[in-house]
Amino acid sequence: MDENSGAERRAYRLTRRRFLAVSSAAAALAACAPAATPGPSGASVAPTATPGPPLKIGMLLPFTKVYAELGNSMQRATKLYLKQKGDALANRPVTVIYEDEANDPVVGAQKTQKFIDSDRVDLMMGIVATPIAYAVRNAIDAAKLIFIETNAGGNALTRTTTDCKPSCKSKYIFRSSFSSYQISYPIGEYFATQKGVKEVFTFVADYGFGNESAADFTSGFTKGGGKITGSLKAPLGSADFLPFVTQLKGQQTKDIYSFFSGTDAINYIKAWTQLGMTASGYKMNGAGFLTEQDVLKEVGDQANGATTSLFWAVTLDNAENKAFVDAYQKEYSLLPDVFAVQAWDGMQAVDLALQAVKGDTSNKDAFIAALENVKFKSPRGDFEFDKETHNPIQDIYIREVKVQSGQAVNTIVGKVARVTDPGK
Amino acid sequence: MTPETAVVQALNGISFGALLFILAAGLSLVFGMMDVVNLAHGAFYMLGAYIALTIVQRTGQFWLALVLAPLLIGALGLVIEPLLLRRLRGRHLDQVLLTIGVSLVIADLIGLTWGREIRSIPFPAGLDHAITIVGGDYPVYRLFVIAFGAALAVVLAVVHRRTRVGALIRAGVDDAPMLAALGVDIDRLFAITFAVGAALAGLAGVIAAPVFGIYPGMDVDYLIYSLVVVVVGGLGTLSGAVAGSALIGPVDTFGKVLFPQFALALIFAVMALVLLMRPTGLLGRIRIAR
Repeated sequence: MDENSGAERRAYRLTRRRFLAVSSAAAALAACAPAATPGPSGASVAPTATPGPPLKIGMLLPFTKVYAELGNSMQRATKLYLKQKGDALANRPVTVIYEDEANDPVVGAQKTQKFIDSDRVDLMMGIVATPIAYAVRNAIDAAKLIFIETNAGGNALTRTTTDCKPSCKSKYIFRSSFSSYQISYPIGEYFATQKGVKEVFTFVADYGFGNESAADFTSGFTKGGGKITGSLKAPLGSADFLPFVTQLKGQQTKDIYSFFSGTDAINYIKAWTQLGMTASGYKMNGAGFLTEQDVLKEVGDQANGATTSLFWAVTLDNAENKAFVDAYQKEYSLLPDVFAVQAWDGMQAVDLALQAVKGDTSNKDAFIAALENVKFKSPRGDFEFDKETHNPIQDIYIREVKVQSGQAVNTIVGKVARVTDPGK
Repeated sequence: MTPETAVVQALNGISFGALLFILAAGLSLVFGMMDVVNLAHGAFYMLGAYIALTIVQRTGQFWLALVLAPLLIGALGLVIEPLLLRRLRGRHLDQVLLTIGVSLVIADLIGLTWGREIRSIPFPAGLDHAITIVGGDYPVYRLFVIAFGAALAVVLAVVHRRTRVGALIRAGVDDAPMLAALGVDIDRLFAITFAVGAALAGLAGVIAAPVFGIYPGMDVDYLIYSLVVVVVGGLGTLSGAVAGSALIGPVDTFGKVLFPQFALALIFAVMALVLLMRPTGLLGRIRIAR
């Protein structure tokens, strides 16, 4: 009996050891892969003068879990930008090291530390989720690593806060996307002063970003003289939205302000349609992600009439946007989304700042000053960083979903010019 | 909450519970028969939704997807059981670990095949409108989910209690080695049970796809729900899955609208409470360790 189980254990250990050998070989292979991918395209392009030292960019994006497609989109924009520039910025050949943050602050912190300690990158970009940006803020600040945030919109990342809770601005951190204030406060003020809306009911995702959006909308709307009649929150990742929309229908205020994105937005809009909310006179409004392309292509005309605010729309009529959308479509046969624009502008800002310092990133203060001074025409319109906060100063567009030749698109119906984050 | 709203919310809760039942029935069946908590159940559910996506995109036929997707996933289960699980029979923890591996592989293959975008399919024609209930519109599809869940429960109960296969499964749950000794091909029975469990997960995926969307990570979200349901209801019994989903569906729905701050913890609090009072779950049986 005893002998038997010993033999079994021995066999078991052997298989486990074999398993370890195989898995570590696989891990070694996987570790080689990222270094191998960016290589070949760089070799084919010959820069004019003798190229400067290589520039290493650490790009931390989600490639797995629920935000994977956002990471893919930003990676596509980054690759397209570099391709157009012959894989060199300010005469320095560029290597981008992509890492997966897996929508997990712990993983994000580990990968950031890897960028700092072992890759020794010249600058870092990326991060989709605000909790991850907050989690790595201190490490980046302590390492004096220049970081361009290309998505996470949590207000605190570019603000002065008491005791730096939950996060605070750093001279090394810039943001090429937006702060949640920017996509929530202006539409609140606009509703009260321009659209003549008297009462709004808020319904947002119950997590940091959704709550921030509701609070900023509320302060903009009430400052303009409007009244918030009530609020409802859905826990993040609530699959079933019918119970919430049932509650919305059970109250009298017709204008609803929402913050949802991705799957939540799709499920919300479908439940909205199923309960016949629009027919009963209710109006859907929200921060722009509620009706971005990823959502619209799945819900189509069900979002018809929804009014949202964002700093960009694929239909935005300017030369830079046309060129960007065309180039992106030509390369990937699909429409760019707002995340692609954010990464694109991050690359553009880095490119211009690098040119201003002639490719020299060794003097951090000079490079930061150069970034603070970049001004350019982005697909979203005029782009510059607020020198105080390092958050962009940008126009916010009020958009309404309309069905044009069978396709649901965001059309621009209004604009709030040069919105900057208050910084505290 | 007005009485009308309360009625509608009760319907919402029951329809969510019905969906949870379809999902949890397969998990419970496999556990009862094979003593394996199949953690790949969520991945089968996800695969069902993605196969439905392709079928609906190609043919526009939701009903075809409802038949075909479970069959395909059942066939996959028929391959996985003899190929992988059978080798570890009797080593329950190793089998559970193996199912985690299977779920990771399936989820990643889905990502490679279908991409990692969020997707959705429309409600099937005929069930995409609303009817008037207690003075308001109510979506017909949700009523269909309730009816489907109830019908499935009846069918499973009849198969379980009145057919030869059901008798074999009940005997297998009680004492598999004895059943084998009586000359029943236990390998085949296990493979079929596992395949039926997987097919039920795929079926739930198809039913849920129009309502809850199709996205990376859906496997884990719903695996957790189905685990809560079978633990609350009682592991390994069909009536347990019915009781668990009938409790968890409405609790989750009312919890979300009445105490939103507490909503995620609520179903786990209920689970803890049930386990304190009845460690085997609402309708669970005491299992004799062998």
